Amino acid sequence: MSPLWGLRNLARHPLRTVLAVLGITVASALLLDMVLLAGGLERSFERLVLSRGYQIRVTPKGTLPFDTEATIGPVTPLVTAIRRDPDVVAAGPILAVALHARHADSLLPLVGYGVDPAGQGSYDLLEGSDLAAADSAGLLVGRTAAEALGLSVGDSVRLVGRLDPQVATTGVQRTMVVRGVVRWLYDDRTMRSVGTLLPVMQRFAWPAGNDRASLLMVRARDDVLAASVVARLREAHPEVGVNSVTDLVGQFRERISYFRQVSVILGTISLAVTVLLIATILTITVNERLGEIATLRALGVARRTVVTQVLVEGAALTLAGGALGVLLGLGTARYLDTILTAFPGLPASISFFVPQRQGLVTAAALLLVTGTLAGVWPAWIAARAPIAATLRGEAP
Amino acid sequence: MPPRLLVLLLVLAAVKVAPLAAQVVPVAVERRLAERLDLGVGDTVRLGTAPDSLRRRAVVAAVYVPAADPTRLMRGELQVRLHLPDLAALLGAPDRVDRFGVMLAPGANPEEASRRFNASAFGYRAFPSAQVGAEASQTFVVVSRFHRAIGVISIVASAIFLLCIMLLKVEERRLDAAVMRFVGVRRRTIFLALLLEASVVALLGSLFGTVLAWLASLATNAWYRRFYDTALTFSAVTADIVLLGVGLSLALGLLAGAFAAARLVRTRPMVLWGRG
Repeated sequence: MSPLWGLRNLARHPLRTVLAVLGITVASALLLDMVLLAGGLERSFERLVLSRGYQIRVTPKGTLPFDTEATIGPVTPLVTAIRRDPDVVAAGPILAVALHARHADSLLPLVGYGVDPAGQGSYDLLEGSDLAAADSAGLLVGRTAAEALGLSVGDSVRLVGRLDPQVATTGVQRTMVVRGVVRWLYDDRTMRSVGTLLPVMQRFAWPAGNDRASLLMVRARDDVLAASVVARLREAHPEVGVNSVTDLVGQFRERISYFRQVSVILGTISLAVTVLLIATILTITVNERLGEIATLRALGVARRTVVTQVLVEGAALTLAGGALGVLLGLGTARYLDTILTAFPGLPASISFFVPQRQGLVTAAALLLVTGTLAGVWPAWIAARAPIAATLRGEAP
Repeated sequence: MPPRLLVLLLVLAAVKVAPLAAQVVPVAVERRLAERLDLGVGDTVRLGTAPDSLRRRAVVAAVYVPAADPTRLMRGELQVRLHLPDLAALLGAPDRVDRFGVMLAPGANPEEASRRFNASAFGYRAFPSAQVGAEASQTFVVVSRFHRAIGVISIVASAIFLLCIMLLKVEERRLDAAVMRFVGVRRRTIFLALLLEASVVALLGSLFGTVLAWLASLATNAWYRRFYDTALTFSAVTADIVLLGVGLSLALGLLAGAFAAARLVRTRPMVLWGRG
């Protein structure tokens, strides 16, 4: 008996087969999207946090990076102490403050970052040069801020700090020169951000003597040493919060649990739809062909062969639908990603749907196994059909 | 925002201390925070603007449940409420507020009033509540768009599933149709009978689906209310949604049934009988 018997049966009912494959395609596309969504955001966040190799964040106790306006201070002795750790290769403070820039006859609100170029993990230089260690007039601008203010490398801009809009007074005003255009890694798409040396930005935020920062980024010599560095820093500096990337990802995971739950529910429904579709089609097909199957059995075809053919038919439908589903799923994932990345405040480099080999393999394996198993019941019907009674019933 | 109280957002910055008699301000503590810090009315806490400057002593005067607010749901923020002068003193910013609400006289136009306020003085911006609400709900607009896109994919999958099932259901009737044709039943009668059967299946299926959706909605609300410790409604099966679901499945069911029935009645009876 030809091994293609089951497949030929699919060709006998082209409309039915096309509809079944289409149904499996859409269901498997949804399954793939949900598998990508389940871990995509988490992986994307982890990739972002580790993008510059800094494995540890030191924050005000009880807070997450940039979660509140709380600051750490005095920050200079803290940075010095942390840099003394033999396993720490870099540590850099970051301060985020509200700032304004004079633009034409108005004031444009900005986010101002105070950084230490010797230990920074918050930007990538795109044009121009980085800030020098003593460059108190130098400024780094993000693309969005540069476009809003019409700035390029070498231009000057007047920055205003501690603005009191009610009485229109400013605490400090300084003219800064753009040294470089950068990409701020943690900015969302709409943020207009600029950066200066930390002491300069501290003066934009407070009167002299406020040695404070929003957080510190720390890079250990090796990823495997990060956990021991975290433990030592926690012990040495109990007044601040010390978080490894694993801690941050764990806390982030709690916040995005909604998406993981939605992906599990919708993924399960997709699998159920696939199973139902395949099981229904195969059951009806087998019932239609009971006479044919009984004849084959009467001619000596083994029960196992009949079962295999029905399972092959289910697997073929699943494979065809699944292959098309991967293409459709990747397309819809991109579309859904453009919807979800419009979340206000989300860093521009975060993605919700991150294609990964493991995710694709998981989705494919789940689909193939459940699709094939969906044929078990119809296969059992085919195998258990009483030969004599069926043939008598089929006789004209 | 209540007129004499202002919300202070704390991220676990409150620390329970031994009761103190003097120089304490009253504070109302959100229930979740009270549970987390094991606070009760009469306990004393230290408050501050940063974790390393918890200088103000306050006595818990009340434990309250804040109004359910979807915009705070995933942020996990915990609140305490102080009298405005106490909070201003704590922040070192006397006689200042972030914002305040204005109730207009009946019939007044909020947009027009906002324009007048903005034109009359310098140093603040007035916004109609609707605009503030629209901007604050951007997150939910995104979530709704995502849900809608997922809904469209689900509808497409369900539609194909339904078409497939209807086609099979009608094709199951091949022998019946052949017998009816042999005994002289008209094609039109067979077509209508098959169509009626398809519509009954679609109707029953959609009604069962509605009950299933309602149960799923109850389970969703129960789960997320418990998960986020809130009274918010996460899932609602509205009349519009039921009408859309039932209408769509009926229309698709009838369409698929009609298509399959038409194919069946056009086929010669001997072919239907399997001898053609």
